[in-house]
Amino acid sequence: MKTIQRFAYPIFFAVMAILPHVLDSRWQAVAITFLIFAVVALSQDIILGKSGMFNMGQALFFGLGAYTTAILNNEYGWSIIATIPLAILIPAVCGVLLAGPIVHLRGDYLLVTTIGFNIVFVQVVQNNLGGITGGPNGIFGLDSLSFYGIDLTSQVSVYYFAFAVLLLTLGIMRNLAGSKAGRAMHYLREDQLAAESIGINTRIYKIFAFALGAGIAGLAGTVFAVQYSAVSPEAFDFIQSVLFFSIVIVGGSSVPGVLIGVFVMFVLPEIFREFATWRFFIFGFAMIAAMILRPRGIIPATFGKIPKFLIKENNHGA
Amino acid sequence: MDIFLQQLANGLTIGSMFALVALGYTMVYGVMRLINFAHGDMVAASAFVGLTIYTHVTGQATSLAAVVAIFLLSAVVMAVLGVVLERVAYRPLREAPRLSAVVSALGASLVIQNGIMLIWGPRMRIFPELVPQVYWDFGGVVISLIQVIILVLSLVLMIALYLFVEKTRIGAAIRASSIDQDAARLMGINVNSIIALIFIIGSSLGAVGGLFIGLYYRGITFNMGWQYGLYAFVAAIIGGIGNIPGAMLGGMLLGLFNAFIAGYVSSTWADAFTFILLIVILIIRPTGILGERVAEKV
Amino acid sequence: MAHNELILTDVTKRFGGLTAVDALSFKVSAGQIYGIIGPNGAGKTTVFNCITGIYKSEQGSVKWRGEEIRGLTPYQIVDRGIVRTFQTIRLFSQMSVAENVMSGRHIKSKQKLWHGIVHSPWSKRDELANWHKVEEQLDFFNLSEFAAIPTGSLPYGIQRRVEMARAMAVDPTLLILDEPAAGLNDKETMELLQTIFKIRDKGVTVLLIEHDMDMVMEVTDYLTVINFGKKIAEGTPEAIQKDPAVIEAYLGSEDDDDE
Repeated sequence: MKTIQRFAYPIFFAVMAILPHVLDSRWQAVAITFLIFAVVALSQDIILGKSGMFNMGQALFFGLGAYTTAILNNEYGWSIIATIPLAILIPAVCGVLLAGPIVHLRGDYLLVTTIGFNIVFVQVVQNNLGGITGGPNGIFGLDSLSFYGIDLTSQVSVYYFAFAVLLLTLGIMRNLAGSKAGRAMHYLREDQLAAESIGINTRIYKIFAFALGAGIAGLAGTVFAVQYSAVSPEAFDFIQSVLFFSIVIVGGSSVPGVLIGVFVMFVLPEIFREFATWRFFIFGFAMIAAMILRPRGIIPATFGKIPKFLIKENNHGA
Repeated sequence: MDIFLQQLANGLTIGSMFALVALGYTMVYGVMRLINFAHGDMVAASAFVGLTIYTHVTGQATSLAAVVAIFLLSAVVMAVLGVVLERVAYRPLREAPRLSAVVSALGASLVIQNGIMLIWGPRMRIFPELVPQVYWDFGGVVISLIQVIILVLSLVLMIALYLFVEKTRIGAAIRASSIDQDAARLMGINVNSIIALIFIIGSSLGAVGGLFIGLYYRGITFNMGWQYGLYAFVAAIIGGIGNIPGAMLGGMLLGLFNAFIAGYVSSTWADAFTFILLIVILIIRPTGILGERVAEKV
Repeated sequence: MAHNELILTDVTKRFGGLTAVDALSFKVSAGQIYGIIGPNGAGKTTVFNCITGIYKSEQGSVKWRGEEIRGLTPYQIVDRGIVRTFQTIRLFSQMSVAENVMSGRHIKSKQKLWHGIVHSPWSKRDELANWHKVEEQLDFFNLSEFAAIPTGSLPYGIQRRVEMARAMAVDPTLLILDEPAAGLNDKETMELLQTIFKIRDKGVTVLLIEHDMDMVMEVTDYLTVINFGKKIAEGTPEAIQKDPAVIEAYLGSEDDDDE
């Protein structure tokens, strides 16, 4: 397994790096979608997988980022690049504000509240509150990507933008795993009372997890808005949150597991288009089967790394 | 005042449907600590099963006997489906991490919902007019025969369920299983049978709820289970999930709340207000109105 | 600066109609190995939960170094140098032994939240320094060979050691052990005794609940005996062994049988 992983990542990154040059434009679009949803699923993993909080409203933060970019670009004429800081910050701040009053709720109650937030968000956007969200049709005709006058309209540029965001996300998750904050999230996921009793203020780390996951999802929202040059409410429906939730659990909350989950959920249907009406029927069975056969997920996460010097001679395996 | 009384009547009707469906969520949660996400889709399926029974079995008859037959047959079909659902999707996961069972439930929900679509098609179907269109006008407040039937029948079923759970030996076994499955097993209770029974009861009550939805709203769609299921589930949580009277109370409250939102604000905001109500209640009472606070044993 | 003393005065904790701890007072002085004993259900663990902030007692005061700590949260109490273990071991069972012990370094690490997103040379040094502290604890508790193994798969006796190593990684002033010998065999209990003495020799005050009377008599300097949440005796192990009230509480039921 170790050796597979050592080669798997470089190969994966190399393939992803040259991919747009071997695909036609339709498959480039599919690949971009894969990258965007992979980022959202990983951001969901920070909250659900790493910190163990039953969040079923991740599409809310994804949507907030997308709408921030769309509104700032469309209404206020900001360039797409200029919207990025706010597209991260607004979802992150909302993550803090929404999570604050509810993170103490027990698992299933938290789940329902986050579904609730997602549904409220979609309804607010649909009802065009404040007259800036475009109602049920959403906002369309966004500018394309450009940076200091360099035009990045082509789909290949968008692909690399999305790929950069995925790499950034993976980098953050790696840093998280080797930090005090990241470990605190694991501890509270495993046993909250034990974590408190060893000196961890679990509330802060729960809210931090929400803020971080929300910010990353928001950034993915910007990429989404760029890719489709439009945003609309149904793209951020609570059903989407259900899919992200399922991807993380079925994947086993590990990076390869989540990427496989995103591939199966969003890329396979593009390959088997003729079975489109059967899509969710088959996915439903696949979800049940996956959980029964592998209750901890397809590729279960192994927790944080420990430094090499701690692994002594005559170590018992591992 | 007219609006108030009218919405009161509407709210009680909707509320009793929510309550019937909420009972299915709450009973399963009580014993298995599992949100049965597929329950809403079972409710939707029941309306379609009822439709098919009407067209192909009872020969489009609307006599009392035919209507009763539709209700009974649908309840039986859904009860069987409920038991199958539990066996296939939930029983193998009883010892697994909790989230695995949640995802399995979501999977089952997708299967049922899309199964309905594959069988009955993606377009809205019209539920038959099984009850004559009789209306009474009380000085501007209109109440239909359907509303009266829904309210009365729901109350009867709920009282019957309450008495069954509180007063019978099997009911005691259900309560015991929901407090501590292992202890119940040691006392000689067959927990597997109790869980099967709960799925039978929950699914048949849900079946009645689904037929009521068909009767009341007439238009039925394959994906309506998400909508009604979510509302009923919220009702169960508001009342205190796992608590049977809580589900009834929560259902009624939510029905009334929705009717008043529709009457005084706008139905386009119904979802948002419903969930804001839920969030506020959970912030004030983290385990719902009638839910018990559970202290963790250290 | 006040002494490292823990003083409980009239601590009372009720659950509904049941008074689990009833006006309990005692004082743990710096450097002691202090024992609390009592029959099953006497309220020993509840006392610990009141000290460590898991429960808040309804009445009384819990003073640590002269500061009232009743009503503080568990992590605030850890921050003041009081750490506990659990009667039913509560480890992070999917995580390795080293990571479990590292959790004890949480409050000592000065890393900020944003270091979870971007590392700095300073945060890397901080990380490394804390892992070296973990290494010390692993050596002290003889756990080095298990460093990378998930704790959930280890035998019970080793899990007990991991839990103590985790608590000691905090560098506590007062270590609270809830039945540390429960489930251990004789050899492991003997090792535990040695470990507790070594911990005391490091200058850590130890407060423990124990069931195993032989062990308590051997290890503690001073004892409080409680029954039904009330103190029935206190004193040195020698004095306690002769106390009629204690004998009554432990052996009382046998007298009943005789009559």
